[in-house]
Amino acid sequence: METELDLRGLYCPIPVLRTREEIEKVKMGDLLRIMADDPAAEEDLKRWAKRTGQEVVNVKKEGEEIMVTIRRIK
Amino acid sequence: MRNKAEVKEKKKILYVQTSGIDTPERLYAPFILAMTAQAMDLDASIYFLIKGITVLKEGAAERIKIGNFPTLKEIMDQAIKAGVKIYACAQSCDLLNVPKGDLVEGVTIAGAATVNDLVLEADGALYF
Repeated sequence: METELDLRGLYCPIPVLRTREEIEKVKMGDLLRIMADDPAAEEDLKRWAKRTGQEVVNVKKEGEEIMVTIRRIK
Repeated sequence: MRNKAEVKEKKKILYVQTSGIDTPERLYAPFILAMTAQAMDLDASIYFLIKGITVLKEGAAERIKIGNFPTLKEIMDQAIKAGVKIYACAQSCDLLNVPKGDLVEGVTIAGAATVNDLVLEADGALYF
């Protein structure tokens, strides 16, 4: 299962805070696909995932937009 | 048997705010960083010292707003709701004539031993 989270137009620290809220609604092993255009989001989300023990499975950039896919593993 | 990671204590981060309402641009960051720290599974505290305690006076944060940012009060409330612990230095209140009864709710009044202890037990500390 994959859940989409559109965080475009939202800026630091909202993308991290919303990701935290949403990951808890995702089932263990499922994916959360985050779309963001905050220039801080890529670095912040990767570090958030590492710190909280979640798995970043994919990062894709298209112009100003970034798509980060995180698997809930804890 | 419980997983080792589950019983492991959270890492601690401490922010020390010595700036007051005369420098509003210095006041948002500790709250924003601390609420983000909570979302990172860290245990975050902010210690308000010297002029910092002026931020905690009832009604002060409502009057601070910069640019497109929400009022400081909104950010402070979000941080407290996220579980950030707020400490106010008792001697600073006396120094600046801020009655301790005028501080916002949810603040822990503490002293020198507490701030020393918080610095030593934190895994990292940032000063504003």
